[in-house]
Amino acid sequence: MPEPIVQIRELIKFYRHGEIEVTALDNISLDIHANEFVALMGPSGSGKSTLLHIIAGLDRPTTGECLVRGVNVGNLSETKLADWRNNHIGFIFQTFNLIPVLTAFENVELPLLLTKLSTRERREHVLAALALVGLSDRSRHLPRQLSGGQEQRVAIARALVTDPTLVVADEPTGNLDAHSAQEVLTMLQMLNRQAGKTIILVTHDPKAAAFAQRTIHLEKGQLINGNSGLQS
Amino acid sequence: MTIPGFILRNALRNKRRLSLTVLSVALSLFLFTTMQTALHELTQPPTSEDAALRLVVRNKVSLGNVLPSKYRPRLERMPGVSHVMKLTWFGGIYKDKANFFPQFAVDADQLSPVFSEAEIDPKQINDFINEKNACDVGIKTMQRFGWKIGDRITLQGTIWPCNPELIIRGVYRKGIDMTNLFFHHEYFDELMGNQGLVGMYWICAENAGVIPDLVKRIDSTFANSESETKTETERAFQLGFISMFGNIKVLIGSISTVIVFTMILVTASTMSMAIRERSREIAILKAIGFDGWQIFGLILAESFGLAAAGGLIGCFGADILYRHLDIYSLSHGVLLKLDVTPSILAAGLTVAVLLGIISCLVPSYMSIQTSVVDGLKELD
Repeated sequence: MPEPIVQIRELIKFYRHGEIEVTALDNISLDIHANEFVALMGPSGSGKSTLLHIIAGLDRPTTGECLVRGVNVGNLSETKLADWRNNHIGFIFQTFNLIPVLTAFENVELPLLLTKLSTRERREHVLAALALVGLSDRSRHLPRQLSGGQEQRVAIARALVTDPTLVVADEPTGNLDAHSAQEVLTMLQMLNRQAGKTIILVTHDPKAAAFAQRTIHLEKGQLINGNSGLQS
Repeated sequence: MTIPGFILRNALRNKRRLSLTVLSVALSLFLFTTMQTALHELTQPPTSEDAALRLVVRNKVSLGNVLPSKYRPRLERMPGVSHVMKLTWFGGIYKDKANFFPQFAVDADQLSPVFSEAEIDPKQINDFINEKNACDVGIKTMQRFGWKIGDRITLQGTIWPCNPELIIRGVYRKGIDMTNLFFHHEYFDELMGNQGLVGMYWICAENAGVIPDLVKRIDSTFANSESETKTETERAFQLGFISMFGNIKVLIGSISTVIVFTMILVTASTMSMAIRERSREIAILKAIGFDGWQIFGLILAESFGLAAAGGLIGCFGADILYRHLDIYSLSHGVLLKLDVTPSILAAGLTVAVLLGIISCLVPSYMSIQTSVVDGLKELD
């Protein structure tokens, strides 16, 4: 079996709120392989979003390590981490989080402004990403002129445009109706199966998790079903 | 899309707030420019090569004390002196107190040699010199009252108990303050009963090199006399005259500081609001790869652009406006003009640039310090 793309070892994360210490993740060890579609499931406060944030380089573990393609993300400086996120991570959020003053095309182009691509190359990448999510005809629309489902598809295109190592989606269907949610999940599944993208999906919805190849359950900061993917 | 294009889109997202902020900065910079220009006009009156050779001899006690007319021949005989002219402030009223303009009794034949930069028709000079109750008036005052050559005017004395009845024989343009009225000292003396009183003497030196010695010689000549003198250059005299109004520099400097400080608060408040509204977007930008310095650059550029736009409108607006306004009439003769110099424009624009930088420091630091996770928590 190939080397895991994500390797988490004895990871602990706790937050301090005044004098109270809250353990968000408690000794997590986990492997995620390339081209996997993994769902992180659990109730509110189970630590699934915290784990996603650490994998995506948005947060740092208290102890333990998180390696993505061999890079210990927690050891990178803030500036290197920002650059690393731009190159390796594609984010999809629950609330879409498109920039309201930019068109769909410009929202998708935003991460590419940090690269050395030429205007023509950026344009090609953006059009390809929009075509992949079926929104080529909406490229000039502002977010307010799109439906919720379309906005999330633009967000998916923005997540894909840099061809990241990992696509991380935090409750991407939480703000969508059933039909749009189905569309978005089908699209993530298609990206995993046809484009070979490694996807980590955080959800509390078993129907959404059913689209993934593997589901990891978290409760009170711990893995509860042992489906950690670790090779013995 | 480019990064500058992205900054522009962000800046234009709330057009009403943007307009109001730019206008408030523009108005503040307009006031700043006006204050600095007024200060410049008051403290640095226009000078010329001729003015550099002029000396003012006045009573050492104060401007309100006079000198005897018998000093004139002694001054004329001093080496290095080319011209001597008696000049006495009359300060009369023309019809109404509101019609203020400067009036002086002078030696008519010395007026042109002493104020050689004033442009006047040679025939009019002769007419002025040859008629005892003639007067020579600056073009601005002529225009203000609609006077023309040959008109008769009467000044009502307030300091001096006499009412000169004058005929306008000359109009001068350019060079010196174009609001003055000059009439014969001889006529003034006659009306005053030949008391031999002179407000001050204006002297032309032969060259700049003799001035330091001349100043010392004049004052030492009249030392321990009934009326000791104080001799100074025209520029020093004007600055001293202005200082009688109080410490204008400190006053205007204080007002300018308050204006600048208020601008910083207004702009910082606007930038704080703009950044707080966008805290979720800033978190997203960080998530997709923008680092703290890049975020700071975006905010700084927006704040700088806003302040620079306000600065350009305010400073150049003042410059354009004052080129077309009759400042003399509007200020009732206090200021001749408001000439916004390049150095004042540069100072105003520098203030605008600093304003743009300072006002965004705290809000951008706060946004950089906020972690992506904390920023994202505000979303959901």
